[in-house]
Amino acid sequence: MIILAIDTSCDETSAAVTKGQMVIANVVYSQVLVHQKWGGVVPSLAKRGHEERIDWVIDSTLKKAKITKKDLDYVAVTYGPGLAIALEVGINKAKEIASEFDKKLIAVNHMEGHLYSSFVQNSRGNPKRDWQFPYLGLLVSGGHTELVLFSSHVEYQILGETRDDAAGESLDKAARMLGFGYPGGPVIEKLAKEAQNVDQYHFPRPMVKINNLEFSFSGLKTSFLYYLQKLSDQEKIKNLRFLASSYQEAVFDTLVYKTNQAIKKTGVKRMLMGGGVAVNARLRQKVRALVRTSGGSIYFPPFSYLNFDNAAMIGVAAYYRAKIGLIVQSADEFDRVPRLSLLQSTKN
Amino acid sequence: MTKTLSLLEKSKKTVINETRKVLAQGGLVVFPSDTVYGLLVDATNENAVKKLIRFKNRPHGKAISVFIPDLNNLHQYVQVDHRQDKIIRTLLPGPFTVILKSKHQTSKLLESENGTLGVRVPFYPLIFDLLNIYQKPATATSANIGGRSPHYSIDSLLKYIPQEKQNLIDLIVDGGKLTRNKPSTIVDLTNPKIKVLRRGDVELKNPTTYISQSAKQTQKIACFLVGKYQSKTDGKPLVFIIQGDLGVGKTEFVKGAATNFQITNIISPTFVVYYEYEINTGKLEFGTQKFYKFIHYDLYNIEDAEEFRYLGLDEALKDGSIVFIEWGEKLGEEYKKIKKQAKAIYITIKHIDRQTREIHVAEQGV
Repeated sequence: MIILAIDTSCDETSAAVTKGQMVIANVVYSQVLVHQKWGGVVPSLAKRGHEERIDWVIDSTLKKAKITKKDLDYVAVTYGPGLAIALEVGINKAKEIASEFDKKLIAVNHMEGHLYSSFVQNSRGNPKRDWQFPYLGLLVSGGHTELVLFSSHVEYQILGETRDDAAGESLDKAARMLGFGYPGGPVIEKLAKEAQNVDQYHFPRPMVKINNLEFSFSGLKTSFLYYLQKLSDQEKIKNLRFLASSYQEAVFDTLVYKTNQAIKKTGVKRMLMGGGVAVNARLRQKVRALVRTSGGSIYFPPFSYLNFDNAAMIGVAAYYRAKIGLIVQSADEFDRVPRLSLLQSTKN
Repeated sequence: MTKTLSLLEKSKKTVINETRKVLAQGGLVVFPSDTVYGLLVDATNENAVKKLIRFKNRPHGKAISVFIPDLNNLHQYVQVDHRQDKIIRTLLPGPFTVILKSKHQTSKLLESENGTLGVRVPFYPLIFDLLNIYQKPATATSANIGGRSPHYSIDSLLKYIPQEKQNLIDLIVDGGKLTRNKPSTIVDLTNPKIKVLRRGDVELKNPTTYISQSAKQTQKIACFLVGKYQSKTDGKPLVFIIQGDLGVGKTEFVKGAATNFQITNIISPTFVVYYEYEINTGKLEFGTQKFYKFIHYDLYNIEDAEEFRYLGLDEALKDGSIVFIEWGEKLGEEYKKIKKQAKAIYITIKHIDRQTREIHVAEQGV
């Protein structure tokens, strides 16, 4: 089953050609830019200009895969969650191709893409990971934080999600408060590592005491701000690493605590992680420790690019949707859903 | 014998009609409101008011507020000068009781010893509709016995009010469990300086500055403000431009605003820049313009005004949109466009201390 997948959920314009779980080609616009055009810097003007680059991205992907649109079995596209105007570009392009070449459309939830990202294979079919449902998915990125029960293919249940800021956003904002630019997550990680990840300040672990699996990071952000306001610039600079480290610990401890609660509540010990924050080595270390004590196992996306927005994972999720006949019935009525929830994408 | 009517979408007309009949006969009605369950009697009917006072064990001389059918009728019942009128129009309709000199058109038993009367015009469709049909003021007091806590459900009310008191009730309108809003904020306008006699959910410092002590309260204030401006857009899209530092509660403000449209899944849109929510218009009816789209922007990550080209602001500024823009100070030139095409309200939220925020509202930007 050859699928052309498109993802334009936020900043990245991405297309991929997949065959089952295998990725034949995957192109993400900004990565190409970084390597070829601007030598490392993506100018802000290029951000979100999906309309201007979608054709180029799709053509490059097909060329890399050495196929033409005629060879496709399906066209898959992300229809949410994300930025409305960006999603629209991908959907319109997908509809256009589907109509011109008489292909069926598959509507994919960006978050199910992240859930499937641990099972994406390269063009040689590696890595080979067996499916052993159910899984507990922890998806953490700049825009999302959620715990999902992934009980069989295309079957999802949200156990908890953020009520305000996402974990990645929380780290970005803390970095900004410390005087660093965007994206701040990697800066915090680096500073924290230099401080051996110690928790010197004991910032509050948001909602840790409340007996549910919801997240909230806006209160932590505010207490961090108040703490910084009490410090002089000198003190701030002197303690930069410890501040970053303590903040990161507070965010990650919360994620780990809630994940542990989810394991206890569901009895599911096989975990999946996905999303941009899942590349953070400290978070991985903490989650691995949790998995060890609970006697479970964990998969991370096998290739780093799969943590970030990419169409490859959309193509793989689409494959499993198509396999059970979940295709778009009416292209005319098919529209973006900016605050799409996984509950709207589960098969039952 | 007490009659009970359940308030359902389809039974609304019946409820209003029955209540009107009972009020006209001098009866006592337990009725839902924007705050707690209240007791309605015809405020112009002396005997009905006496019955109410008997129910409440209210000492004589302790005032009872009234619901006025329409803000424009206010001067029929109380003395309103130009200064007071201006303040009243920023507060009402809303969760406030305003104290003014009575014109004695309602029962004197409702007034204070100084001849003042508390008036309410709630932002609550059912009471609005009822009074517009009834065309007379009704009492606005909580359905509890003097000195006891107010009730948010009929179950709790029936549990705590003794039978002999319950016998005085002629009609109960059961609107289910009410949202836990505090009783109204009572504002005395009879002196040159505004005096707050009781703090409700929406607390104010002056008519354009509100005070919040918690995230929840910021939500309540937003809910009130947005409700107020919803019907004042002159057919244009309505845009709230929100400014304030990190952690001041801008997203909480938007969350509160969203409750007016039954939207409960607002999260920070920082990462994607904006989220869009469909408004189920079937549920809105109360003197408001129809809104179809609720759009929540967060310009925190915007570095270059050029980015607006890709952010669909023109699309957002369509009729039927209600738009919230966090970090509105980054709008740059786009600000002029909004000012021209939409009704713009400027919200500035300030940190006062760890808990307290001041929320300033202006219809004209600076």
